[in-house]
Amino acid sequence: MSQQILILSQSHLEGTTDHVCQWLGHLGIPYLRMNGEDLFDMQHLGDLPGNDEIAVVWYRRKISSFPVKYSLKQADFQTQYTLKRFLADEFNGLHSLLFYTIDRQKWLNDPITEDNLNKLHVLALARKCGISTPFTEVVTTRAAIAQLLENYHEIIVKPVSECIFLEDTAGGQYKMLTKTIHQNNLQLVPEKFFPSLVQEKITKKFEIRTFYLDGECHSMAIFSQNNRKTKDDFRNYDNQRPNRTVPYKLPAALEFKLGQLMKLLCFRTGSIDLMVDMQGNYHFLEINPEGQFGMVSYPCNYYLERKVAQLLSKSISHEKEIYQ
Amino acid sequence: MEYFNLYANCQLVKGARMSLLCDLQMRRFYHIPNDTADVLLFLQQHSIEECMAHYGEDNREAITGYISFLLSKELGFKDNRLVPELTPLDLSWDRYSDITNVIIEFNEDISYTGDFFRELFDLHVQGLEIRCYHKTDLDRIRELLEVFNGTTLKFIKLVLPYEATLALPALDKLVKKYPRVRSLLIHSSPADKLEKIFDGSVPVVFFSSNINSCLACGEIRADYFMSNMELFTESQHFNTCLNRKLSIDGNGYIKNCPSLPESFGHVTKTSVREVLDNKAFQRYGKIRKDEITVCKDCEFRHVCTDCRAYVEDPQDMYSRPLKCGYDPYTNSWENWAENPLKQSAIAWYGLEEIIK
Ligand code: SF4
Repeated sequence: MSQQILILSQSHLEGTTDHVCQWLGHLGIPYLRMNGEDLFDMQHLGDLPGNDEIAVVWYRRKISSFPVKYSLKQADFQTQYTLKRFLADEFNGLHSLLFYTIDRQKWLNDPITEDNLNKLHVLALARKCGISTPFTEVVTTRAAIAQLLENYHEIIVKPVSECIFLEDTAGGQYKMLTKTIHQNNLQLVPEKFFPSLVQEKITKKFEIRTFYLDGECHSMAIFSQNNRKTKDDFRNYDNQRPNRTVPYKLPAALEFKLGQLMKLLCFRTGSIDLMVDMQGNYHFLEINPEGQFGMVSYPCNYYLERKVAQLLSKSISHEKEIYQ
Repeated sequence: MEYFNLYANCQLVKGARMSLLCDLQMRRFYHIPNDTADVLLFLQQHSIEECMAHYGEDNREAITGYISFLLSKELGFKDNRLVPELTPLDLSWDRYSDITNVIIEFNEDISYTGDFFRELFDLHVQGLEIRCYHKTDLDRIRELLEVFNGTTLKFIKLVLPYEATLALPALDKLVKKYPRVRSLLIHSSPADKLEKIFDGSVPVVFFSSNINSCLACGEIRADYFMSNMELFTESQHFNTCLNRKLSIDGNGYIKNCPSLPESFGHVTKTSVREVLDNKAFQRYGKIRKDEITVCKDCEFRHVCTDCRAYVEDPQDMYSRPLKCGYDPYTNSWENWAENPLKQSAIAWYGLEEIIK
């Protein structure tokens, strides 16, 4: 039996997967796409893709949303939330079985590292690879911040994990953003607080989003400095005046170090965020192994979706050579 | 030293006397004299000071003006060097479909569910235009739209004749049922106007002229120009009207475009493969604007679409679109239909009726 490409994704709201699949179709390369939603129709464990039939796995997404809504008979806010968490854990327990049944080296990105990526650890690894990162600390007191402000003009606070969205009972939505602390608002910081990640604030000339794919860096510069609204975080999209996004080539030495970092993490693909300061120095911020690369591919005319399709197809033709 | 860095997605296209600065990201373009374009090209190699020295004191004010114009439109930025890491835009073009766009001249007597159509839409066609020249039963159009549910088709444009009963609420209902319908053109309307339906997301253009045959097609107008990555890159390598396009005329014949005479088979007898493998079918796809007479000297060539069905000299495949009134050598627009030099081609295509 010939071995296949396996794509793990979700059934909708995943244009990138659709796009790569369409390239695979156009190039005449067979593949198997399993959406998390498909697990709701499985009859038995044997329905899951097995190690022998799979040559390479591209793990893109888990699931968009459960196809069926479940609730408790007498639900209140608290129990409903607990149930939601429980079902998510149940789903993950089943989904991540694949991480163990399909050989780890077949995955473009090591799935267990990908699912448990730790920002602080990645920053430490980056420094180990000789990549400069903004000064980063975790603190619990205002005094500690005051001390940092003696060395750094401004400090930013961001989550160790990911930013969240909050919703209140009235349906109002709140998005967590990166916040800046300086001498003038320091008094608003509580004396003692939950362990929080703080980072030196770098005045940026522009940002860089790099899509790393199997040894190659495809980078894009994002100019937002004319635009006060997006100065802290370009993800606060401003539709009226979008940021300028243009192709960029990182210095070879930095590309090499980023490649080493990706190897340490066992990732063959991922989005890397960097920042360039006013003096032209590069600062590494973070890696999103499952980052959207359409937002780099289209503005720079890079055809990254086609490149991903070609990489996947290379993996099956390579397998064939071994078995012949 | 100060330098002006032009963003890579702002592309300069030089014409005979004027140039076009195409902002492909913001989808705008700026019509500028060639002298200004030359200054801009000089600035891509030299500092602002060197540029001033090169063009002389007399031009200092003008050059300062150009640069502040570019800065105010956010087409670039000043820096202490020409940032070499800002690499040029790769202008290559590729798509995952052998056919990206299809036009169907709708005919109630043709079945649109046969093998040919299945094979065609399996190619991941992205855009479809359904043209009805004459009054058509809406139920038959619904049947056709039904075929595309579940395909990867992204965009349907409906061209319909005006009918008093076909009011906006009925159209609104239709596009809500078939969300792939993303724009409508209603011809033979009592008045020209633009409406929006489906919460403002779907434009409905009411057009007062008749569109009762494909003879009306191929018009080149400044308000049809588009400055975007897709068209600009495709235009560098392929024909912007016919590359990877396919049409089915009202009699079921397969063509490059409904307005072209050659057919490559019939939907009941021919397979899509046969059409794609036919060299003659691919004949127009590679004709670039850069090779077409007059267009190659026109600054609009990469924001303009082409027309190979009606050309100035019907015997010459590289002749420019007949229905263009622009003269890139004088930078003026005129009514093409009144140009004495075009009359013989107008007669050759039998367009007299259309332009009256
Ligand atoms: S001369 Fe050619 S490129 Fe210029 S506007 Fe006319 S058709 Fe378009």
